[in-house]
Amino acid sequence: MAEKTSLGSRKSIVQWIGVFLAVISVAAVFAFQQPTPRRYPKRIPVQFWHRWGGEWANVVNSICQRYNASQDKYEVIPLGVSGGSDIKFRLGVLGGDPPDVMSMWNGAIPDMADNGLLTDLTTLMSPADRDYFFNQSYPVVRDSGMVDGKVCGVTIGSDLYALYINVYQLKAAGLDADHPPKTLEELCDWGEKLTIRDKAGNVKRLGFLLSQLDYLTYSFGDGLWDPSTQQIRTNTPDNVRALQAIYDFRKRMGQDKVQRFQASLNSGSDTGGWPFITGELSMTLDGQWRVEEIRKYSPKMNYRVIPIPPPAQNGRTMGGCLTGNFMIIPTTARQKEGAWDFIRYWSGFTDPEASAQCFNDGGWLPLSPKVVQTKTFQKWLKGNPQFQTFLDIAGSPNCKPLPPVPYLQYLIDGIAKAEDRTVRGEMAPQAAMDDLARLMKQELTKRKELGYAR
Amino acid sequence: MRGNRVRENLTGWLFISPWLLGFLIFTAGPFLRSIYLSFTRYNISAPPRWVGLANYQKLFTEDELFWKCSFVTIKFAVVSVPLTVALGVGLALLLNQSVKGMTVFRTVFFLPSIVPTVATTVMFLWILNPTTGLINRLLQSFGVAGPSWLNDATWAFWTFVMMSLWGVGGSMVIYLAGLKDIPTYLYEAAVIDGAGPYQRLKNITLPMVTPVVFFNLVMSIIGAFQYFTQPYMMTPKGGPDDSTHFYSMYLFDRAWKYLDMGYASAMAWVLFVVVVGLTAIVLKTQSKWVHYGG
Repeated sequence: MAEKTSLGSRKSIVQWIGVFLAVISVAAVFAFQQPTPRRYPKRIPVQFWHRWGGEWANVVNSICQRYNASQDKYEVIPLGVSGGSDIKFRLGVLGGDPPDVMSMWNGAIPDMADNGLLTDLTTLMSPADRDYFFNQSYPVVRDSGMVDGKVCGVTIGSDLYALYINVYQLKAAGLDADHPPKTLEELCDWGEKLTIRDKAGNVKRLGFLLSQLDYLTYSFGDGLWDPSTQQIRTNTPDNVRALQAIYDFRKRMGQDKVQRFQASLNSGSDTGGWPFITGELSMTLDGQWRVEEIRKYSPKMNYRVIPIPPPAQNGRTMGGCLTGNFMIIPTTARQKEGAWDFIRYWSGFTDPEASAQCFNDGGWLPLSPKVVQTKTFQKWLKGNPQFQTFLDIAGSPNCKPLPPVPYLQYLIDGIAKAEDRTVRGEMAPQAAMDDLARLMKQELTKRKELGYAR
Repeated sequence: MRGNRVRENLTGWLFISPWLLGFLIFTAGPFLRSIYLSFTRYNISAPPRWVGLANYQKLFTEDELFWKCSFVTIKFAVVSVPLTVALGVGLALLLNQSVKGMTVFRTVFFLPSIVPTVATTVMFLWILNPTTGLINRLLQSFGVAGPSWLNDATWAFWTFVMMSLWGVGGSMVIYLAGLKDIPTYLYEAAVIDGAGPYQRLKNITLPMVTPVVFFNLVMSIIGAFQYFTQPYMMTPKGGPDDSTHFYSMYLFDRAWKYLDMGYASAMAWVLFVVVVGLTAIVLKTQSKWVHYGG
């Protein structure tokens, strides 16, 4: 019996030692796991955080590799931090471990600038850089990274929206894609004509849907920001007209039927499942990056891209609002010079040809027409002629930057809510916009009382 | 002897120190800090600035959405908590019968509660799709046009109530354990006294299971007031007419979307006080309806 107990305890000890060793081994694997070894360990490291994931991250990585191969001083080390990237940036800065450079949605820049987190990039610019940035870039792209006269961000890929048209479906409906609608009202008529329904009236294919109030306000008037008064515009007559147009068209198409159809659509943003490619949408308002997506997933598709036509009365042609990814350098960055050198490479300050390749890889809008004029860009444009529409819009005086305010997210959410309430029939357009104005006033008063500068 | 005791105590503290440090640093610290933050203006990027009671004052007197979200959450708690308790007890009673294959039934009812919340939510998003979803397709086969569920202000809220019943298997298992704990001699005595099934249920089973009901009730109330993952995934903007804008969603948006940490901390403390208050009320009433007799 004693022998058995002794054996049992010996076995138990061996088992415990086994478990202990297994735990130690697992811990050791994680503790000593090394990051991917650096390719250029003797160079100065430049930590670059970006917001892309999946296939887009591969595009960004290849751009970094090209930059690293183009010079012998710095090594840019990319890190994807998609999802809550602005919070990660802030925590990195405040925690004392910031990136040297980061790509950021330009809507988040004003708040960061107000809180002193960003370097004024003009302090890093040479006279030639200043000339390129201030005199040779698209004004709207340039201004989208500026806050109170300071350059807080430089674009590495701006985004605009325009109307994608399926030529085949138009032809089948007896419409001519080469003579597209001249007014928004005409576009809505086309949208209705292109819509296919079953016997019960359920939508099987949607011709067009007027939506995105925040974008449409730039076709109906001056949009959401008044630079002369430095105030946001909410319930202006033009903005109310824009919402009224959305409401009227939605009512005409049948809100419930449209909503049901929309719920069944694939929401995948960067795959071949985009409903325009699959033929479920005949005409749709979408971003310029879709040009590259169509080339990848449906190269034979016959389509056109046109600016959204203005309303018949008091409309603005080529109206739009620019957003996108802008490079920022935190005030506490360790390697500002290296970060700036990388920005110069990507945005075309040094070599517009190399820069063109970067913008073409992602189908993004560049900072300067100088990049567009390069052989590389022109060759790519020849293969993707529909992209020209976005370049035209970028050059239009009716294309504006986002309101440069630190409470932009609150404003955008409020506009989306006003649109949603209106199309659901909960509120009339005027009432919804008045309510938005009231809520914004309340929020701004609150901010003021709490001591925020803006 | 004294030295031994001290050494023993030190060893004990040493063994629990990893947990204790974790608790102090990651739970107690932020918990206490959030009290201070609720009296400040804090946006992460700049140091907190003392604003006194301003956050609380604005919350109660100026913020309509705060009241709307509070109402949605209270309504959810009032509807879903009794329903989940009733369904949990009911299922446990059914699954406490001596029927062949009962373990299979128990497993089937318990399974949904161990599926990750995110997976369940995605599944419901498919099922409730107004055009391609399973429920509307079934209704369609009977000639009924199903509602738009999450896109319909009338239905969206009730969809979440329905979903809350999906995970009732977790509490059901606890009720079942409570039922198994009831001494059989009580039933034997009742049978001898001529008590029928209904009387046994009313006078023995339900009173004896009240300690478990009490525990689940408290946990359900806390869970209902913190309801977040499902509505945030399914209606991230608060649903039609804010009908599914739960309190914790608004709190999250204020904190992480608008970087209004001071305000969000004030919201969190209001929520804490309400939950503690309700728990205290339930605790206070337990002497009147919870039976601990063996």
